[in-house]
Amino acid sequence: MASTTTPSNPTPPSLSLPPSQFARLQPHAYLLAHLSPPPASNQPSIRANGRATSQFRVTSANAGSLTHTNGSAVVRIGDTAAVCGVRAEILHTKDIASWSVLQASAEQKFDKSNETGVPESQDEEDKGHIQDLNLLVPNLSLSTGCAPGFTPGAPPSALAQSLSHQILSLLHTSRLVKADDLRIWYQPPNLDSEEFHNAGEGMEVDTEESGGPEREIKAFWVLYIDVMIISLAGNPFDAAWASVLAALRDTKLPKAWWDADNETILCSDDVADAQKLSLRGLPVSSSFCSFESDVAAGWRAVVIPDAEEQKQKKGAQQRWILADPDGYEEGLSQERVSVVVDKENGKTVIVKMEKHGGWTVDSDDLRHLVDVSAQRWDEMKRILDQC
Amino acid sequence: MSAPLVLLPSDEVPQDHLPTNSSNPLRLGPGLRILSQPSSKGTNHVLTATQAGLLTTDAKRNTVSILSFPNRRYIPTVNDFVIAQIHHSSVDFFHCMVTPHTAHALLGQLSFEGASKKTRPMLKQGELVYARVQSVGVGAGAEVELTCVNPATGKADGGLGPLTGGMVFDVSTGMAARLIRASSSSAENTDAIEGLVVLSELGKKLESLGGFEIAVGRNGKVWVDCSNAAESAVKVTIAIGRCLQETDQQNLHPHDQKKLVTKILRDMKLVS
Amino acid sequence: MFGPIASLSQLNRADGSASYKCPATGYSILGAVNAPIELPARRDALKPEEATVEVFVKPGTTTAGVGERYVEGILRSVLGKIVLGREKGFPRRGVVITLAIVGGENVERGDSYLTILPALLHAALLAMISASVPLSMTFSATLLGVTKSGDIVRDPSPTAAKAAVSLHVFAFSSKNHLLLNESEGRFEFDTWELVRERALSICQGVISSDGDVTMDEGTTSASLNGFIRETVEDQVYSDYAYKLDSI
Repeated sequence: MASTTTPSNPTPPSLSLPPSQFARLQPHAYLLAHLSPPPASNQPSIRANGRATSQFRVTSANAGSLTHTNGSAVVRIGDTAAVCGVRAEILHTKDIASWSVLQASAEQKFDKSNETGVPESQDEEDKGHIQDLNLLVPNLSLSTGCAPGFTPGAPPSALAQSLSHQILSLLHTSRLVKADDLRIWYQPPNLDSEEFHNAGEGMEVDTEESGGPEREIKAFWVLYIDVMIISLAGNPFDAAWASVLAALRDTKLPKAWWDADNETILCSDDVADAQKLSLRGLPVSSSFCSFESDVAAGWRAVVIPDAEEQKQKKGAQQRWILADPDGYEEGLSQERVSVVVDKENGKTVIVKMEKHGGWTVDSDDLRHLVDVSAQRWDEMKRILDQC
Repeated sequence: MSAPLVLLPSDEVPQDHLPTNSSNPLRLGPGLRILSQPSSKGTNHVLTATQAGLLTTDAKRNTVSILSFPNRRYIPTVNDFVIAQIHHSSVDFFHCMVTPHTAHALLGQLSFEGASKKTRPMLKQGELVYARVQSVGVGAGAEVELTCVNPATGKADGGLGPLTGGMVFDVSTGMAARLIRASSSSAENTDAIEGLVVLSELGKKLESLGGFEIAVGRNGKVWVDCSNAAESAVKVTIAIGRCLQETDQQNLHPHDQKKLVTKILRDMKLVS
Repeated sequence: MFGPIASLSQLNRADGSASYKCPATGYSILGAVNAPIELPARRDALKPEEATVEVFVKPGTTTAGVGERYVEGILRSVLGKIVLGREKGFPRRGVVITLAIVGGENVERGDSYLTILPALLHAALLAMISASVPLSMTFSATLLGVTKSGDIVRDPSPTAAKAAVSLHVFAFSSKNHLLLNESEGRFEFDTWELVRERALSICQGVISSDGDVTMDEGTTSASLNGFIRETVEDQVYSDYAYKLDSI
């Protein structure tokens, strides 16, 4: 009976799926089909999100959005958005346990560098102070709901922690912030000229005077740099770093001085007295991922070619390097490249470069990616200058 | 025989090391896999190592395999003998532990010799069974199934079934494999007994005390029982366990194994 | 200069273990691998068809912080790529690698983690080999620093690394692929290429004109890949002494 009720030749069910469902069911094949369209279709190779392989998402930045901070910025790269706020707090040298030791060693160094007259010594000391005293404290949080899977009340994810570390270590290695901006000095009054410590410009002038008592550091500004990713759609580091950069460019520190009578630090409430940080350069980060055509099945069953052989077979393209990957693309690739470049007098300098998670990207590709990053630098500079 | 060859992952097995016996197909042991290399003249195949170890070949059985480090974790393979510990039981199955930190293996309540609903053994938590791996399943998340009977005969061949009394000692999986190979080979030459004289030495020395019984599980467990030794049973069991474990851990040579047996038995005042 | 020191299978309880000491940088790592094991607490991270690689880095004197999370992420992505996670017994299970920093200077908060990365990579690789985790390839890694005068220094000490203009870590697979590159400091691409060449020759030994690595005893022992091979061979020979003696 059953056989008669079912039609012997059923109409074939419709096998077509809307693209959005195909993208979810077969993400790898979906992206691959976009990147390598059949030659007959005459379509260009393009990513599933409509971008060319080396095209970044639309980026916008807005500085000074938060009023209660010393500096702030919102940066949006496509659907990834990061908010950064910089809060400055005063750290008294008397609260630093190892201050006297540090100072003694710093003075020694300073003497030495005076003798040899090496200009870099200032940089060295900067790095020492900022790093030893932890004057820059970045923290990144991935806010609840920024992407599916971020539930309320969870401890900071490994991703958030590792991004915090990346920001901190990039702040240190790029030496973006000058330690001199963070120092609060005290110039003991020269007994000959009673007036001077009331004068605003006094400090700067008196450093050149040799006769007076030596000025000393009384306190530091500590910059708490809090980044919050409010929407995560891939490539969080570029957005987070851009927001840190924009916020630091926006940061103004009030004028502060040591009041000897009250034995405390006083800050000027005059906005005109506040000073912007003078940053070293403008390191811009660009991230890439490598999408392999045979990620799942191929390489387990075939011999992995030697690096040399692989180079010769470049003709048959088996992988695409995608700039500024979105969340969908990040989920489909393991190999990541991140390049941070700066430009000094038109010359490209690499500040940081990392790649891991695969073996398809080698020096030729990296050279190309550095060039792409240099172009991105121009674009980001324009965006950051406008904000 | 050619010089010993140690392979690392991604090393290719040289053609001249493969057995040339072509009457039956070449069989690959663990740690090796066959890869195809697409080239201009069709596809040719190469054997590559995925684990580091000593390449061994058996010309008679036409096998090639890699002996990797003895400390490795046991991965259940069909027909292996293992010593499993009951973790808990459910209606149909005993849930057993074969290796630490892995999913429980299943042992059917009725997969014992002559077991029926009425006569099945009532094993409690912590009890031991000597079992054979029946199936490991295919695909991800597959369960390992154990059995205590030979499906062909319905008998508990080779001492399968619950282990009562005695004691279990942990040894490395490499040592367990050696013990099994050594006991299954009847040949007298040193190659076949895998350089293990510790058991035969113990057998000779302990004969006066009633001998002992031993079961070796591939999962790195050795069960020792010598209930014949009456009041010194516990001492003898521990002595045997210590001999095996020290031979394993210190990788002793045959003459050192004999010394060790003598020393431990004297220390424990079993043999003067 | 002293080469690194390594040994395998030192821990009895772990499925695989290795210790690695680099006298030049002073770091000493003890690594343990357990695989394949169940990861009941990590259901979300498990892939249905592959093994999940978990890496834990434990500093010697403090608790693990953000820097460790970062370096764990790097190690996970490098090692996860070379583990054959679909071999029998591995899908849906975990390969858990624990690396304890038992010697060397502490990596302070915000310090660069690059100085210790090669030692961590080597310890993890050797421990995985010792645990017989199926791998598609082996690798070796090296740390290079570029000084103010432009010299390339191999394995700079922590103080030398701080003074260096740029620091680079390279890892090359046994088939000469660039598996990992971490560079920081200020440098140009041409400098990077020089450093890469140098790193490749350190890892793979001197490459002869026909592109093959010469397999003479003299040259392989100088290269890091050769060092990894020798360490493994030594352990195999001692483990299977009973077998080899009778041959």
